[in-house]
Amino acid sequence: MDISLIVQALVSGVLAAGLYALVSVGLALAIGVIGIVNFAHGEFLMVGAFLTFQLSVSFGLDPALSLLLVAPLLFLLGAVIYRATIQYVLKAPELNQMLLTFGLAIILQNLALLIWGGDPRSIGDVPYRALGFQVAGISFGAVPLASFLVSALLVGGLYYVLIKTPIGKAMRAVAQNRTGAALVGLEVNRIYLIAFALSAALAGLGGVMIAVIQSPTPVVGFAFTLKAFAIVVLAGLGNIRGVLWASLIVAVAESLVATLLPNGDTLRNAVFFAIIFVVLIANSRRPA
Amino acid sequence: MKTLLALVTSLLVTFVFAQPVQIGVLSPLTGGAAGTGLAQQAGFELALQEINAAGGVLGEPLEIIIEDTQAAAPVALAAFEKLMTEDGVEFIAGGYSSGVTLALVESFRTFQPVVTWIGGAVSGVGIDGFDGIEELLGEEDWFFHIHPWDYHNVEAATAFVVSTGVDSVALLHEDSAFGGPGAAGAEALIEAEGIEVTIREAFTSTLFGGTGDFRATISKAAATDADMVYWIGYDSDVVPMISQIRERGYTPQYIFGTPPGWPSEFADAREAECVTGLIGFLPNLPTTEAQAFTEAYRDLHGNEPDNYMAALAYAQLWAYADAINAAGTTEQSAVIEALEAGTFRSPMGEWAFTSSELTDHQGFGADLWLVFQYQDGVREIVWPLERATAPLQSCR
Amino acid sequence: MKRARFDLIALAVFAVILFFLPDLLRNAYGRASVSYLSLLTNAVTLAILALSWDILARTGQLSLAHAAFYGAGAYTTAVLLRLADVPLWVGLPAAGVVAVLLALLLGVVTLRLQGIYFAIATLAFTEVLRAVVQQLPTRVAGGAAGINVAPLFRPEFVPGEMERWEIAFLRNESYFWLYAGLLVLTVLASIYVQRSRLKPAFTAIRTNEEVAAVMGVRSARYKVLAFMLSSLMVGLLGAIDAHRVGSVNPYETFGIQTTVFALVTPIFGGLYTTLGPILGAGVLAGLEETLRRTFGSGYLIGYGAVLVLAILFMPRGLMGLWGWLEPRLKRRPPSKEAP
Repeated sequence: MDISLIVQALVSGVLAAGLYALVSVGLALAIGVIGIVNFAHGEFLMVGAFLTFQLSVSFGLDPALSLLLVAPLLFLLGAVIYRATIQYVLKAPELNQMLLTFGLAIILQNLALLIWGGDPRSIGDVPYRALGFQVAGISFGAVPLASFLVSALLVGGLYYVLIKTPIGKAMRAVAQNRTGAALVGLEVNRIYLIAFALSAALAGLGGVMIAVIQSPTPVVGFAFTLKAFAIVVLAGLGNIRGVLWASLIVAVAESLVATLLPNGDTLRNAVFFAIIFVVLIANSRRPA
Repeated sequence: MKTLLALVTSLLVTFVFAQPVQIGVLSPLTGGAAGTGLAQQAGFELALQEINAAGGVLGEPLEIIIEDTQAAAPVALAAFEKLMTEDGVEFIAGGYSSGVTLALVESFRTFQPVVTWIGGAVSGVGIDGFDGIEELLGEEDWFFHIHPWDYHNVEAATAFVVSTGVDSVALLHEDSAFGGPGAAGAEALIEAEGIEVTIREAFTSTLFGGTGDFRATISKAAATDADMVYWIGYDSDVVPMISQIRERGYTPQYIFGTPPGWPSEFADAREAECVTGLIGFLPNLPTTEAQAFTEAYRDLHGNEPDNYMAALAYAQLWAYADAINAAGTTEQSAVIEALEAGTFRSPMGEWAFTSSELTDHQGFGADLWLVFQYQDGVREIVWPLERATAPLQSCR
Repeated sequence: MKRARFDLIALAVFAVILFFLPDLLRNAYGRASVSYLSLLTNAVTLAILALSWDILARTGQLSLAHAAFYGAGAYTTAVLLRLADVPLWVGLPAAGVVAVLLALLLGVVTLRLQGIYFAIATLAFTEVLRAVVQQLPTRVAGGAAGINVAPLFRPEFVPGEMERWEIAFLRNESYFWLYAGLLVLTVLASIYVQRSRLKPAFTAIRTNEEVAAVMGVRSARYKVLAFMLSSLMVGLLGAIDAHRVGSVNPYETFGIQTTVFALVTPIFGGLYTTLGPILGAGVLAGLEETLRRTFGSGYLIGYGAVLVLAILFMPRGLMGLWGWLEPRLKRRPPSKEAP
């Protein structure tokens, strides 16, 4: 077996982990801080992708720049949805949250279908979309590299916010103990609002990347919802650093299998979920 | 006096009893297949407008009743039965997805309306132990298929591959009922022509939850250094597939894809340059029919008829209108005869029902397909030569 | 015991209504009864999915593996009929057996997983099973194209004595009775769970498994039992559906939407009850069809909006609505007597 093939698989896997981490970390925030099981997380990604597409079509805006617009727009959308719906089910059983957010997902998907139609769209020309360079026989794509760096920056930034800033500390305090946080004078509801909006914005940024490398469609989000859930759970609920590791492991495993086995790409999802399954089972059998 | 009386009576009868002819349509208007269904709907709407402007059917405005199948079998079953029993239609149009079509087979046989169908391309011919649509319905005299079968697609694609003169082909295909059997057929045909298939590798389409990261698959194809990459996938695979082949620095002579449609904006992408693709209809097809259709479509809907399903739906509804008018009645056997005997209009030119492997009711075969090549942001037709708008360019 | 008897009488009445429903529809609507019967069959399908999921949920196990057992049942029938020359009806019990065995396996393995961890593990199981089925040799499971499945009912057309729609009616009636039979069986299982010693055990496990263990409830046994019972029903459902829709293939047969609607419906109708999931199925199926017929494009936006509003304004589902209404209705009579 050619060693460069394996190195290539590792490189591709690591770079792909960026998007996984970005989308999952938003969901981890929603689950970890607010305790909300959000089935519409992938739809935020879908909306982000279509907004990027529309900004490009209407104003010729480069996707890299639309990052700066899509993030606040999705933050706003997240805030509105939180105020209108989520805040009323904070204490409800998680099944109720699932149904509510599933309803939101259906609404967003079908609104997108009405607005943008069902055919896959694409951003016309992205100067750097097909750009790649070879170093010592290993191929690096400009977009995967950039999306990895942006994801790393965002996830790192989020981590910094959570650890160092007052609002981050407040979030962690609320995540640990809602009543206690309220007692020491933290505005729990406002903190939740910010966390949820932030979560939507992160998913929306993932959508910007999807708009570049794939085609926005109304149903593009759902697969990401499922995978992000799996990664968050693999990481341990609310564990941000765990999300990074989990994303890295599944992405690299996918890439290795896709490279080394015949028809390996068709086994990506099987490998992804097999890892999740085995780790969850193994963890549950470990004596506490 | 007698003739006058007869005239008055017949006028009266027409006036009082004439029912507008209704066509029931089954299309997926929501969910993952909505793109196809909405394109069909757009084609039907245009045809309907023209048919009624031209005097309708049997002197009355034609009506269509569109039912959403969600591309789900149980939904499609109930929708078909609604059309048959509640609406009482005698003609069925539309069609999508082989799974849904298989679910409708028993019900079609029960009611035996005239069915013309622009979906369900899995013929079953050549797949051992699996009965496809042509095997199940091909011999029914009320069933008409207006879409090439899977072997037609492969036949056309192979003919193009051979015409390019390449020596080797890397075959990449998605792994559902569309790409799996298609690739097997393509490999056999290409090798029979003495062209080497260096690799046949499956991937999961983004339509079915695939990651859209095709780099591993592409690496394997690049390692064989084949003259051509021939890929079978869906519309949403176009962008990642092409851009990642470029990113890898892999420059085969030709990149050739056969998804059902191409994102319309992709023409502007620099990596699209020189890419070739199989397609059923192109707005810039240089014929009067195509131009008239494109213009009328643009007037009605405000955009280009990019999905060939719109053109097929348009052809399908016009075929019904012309056949029923030719028959002069909605009586089934007369309409079937008129469909069999008629020559119909379409954006692709005049067409008629002919024979394929098992059916004599086949509208459009391998000859539907065109191959285009993106050249300076325009999809130039490069194959077959008699319809070409520009010569094929090698890209190495 | 009294309540169990009441439930059984109610079920018997329900079964009798289901039995006569096709004929009632036919008398009332003539040939339109054909499509009404199909719509009702789809609603009954939803009810079976929902109630079987709810039975499992009563032990606190939020499964996302319903599509796996549905697919396993469908494929068992399809493969068996294809490979062995067995009578048409053998596929159904075989599908039930395979689904139960798979549930035993998955149930035991996931015993110690809770809440969302359990949910994701069962989702992962579904995806892996789908991939395995697709990778099986083509001559066994048909690969990507799938397998044809023969219909269970093919009423004969007697020209001159009947109209074409009447064959469709007879076929739909037979299928409807079969699905209705499975629903009655599922309701029976649900009533048994609700009115036997299983109920306190299930509830104890759901609310606090550790406390339940202290109380002497052998949670492992009950959890696996619930899993097997639930999967039996959905496995049988998958097998019947395979016959009705005429084919199976990996992507559609193991489609996640089976799982999604299995959990959405009981939440909407009312969790941990027998009536809730059934009501939920009836209302949701009726709602979707009504919206489709009224609005055309975009009708699913209304469907999503109803789900959202339902959770906001009746957090305990349709059953919760009843719980709110019932005391108010009962209080009326005395107030009338007051001067």
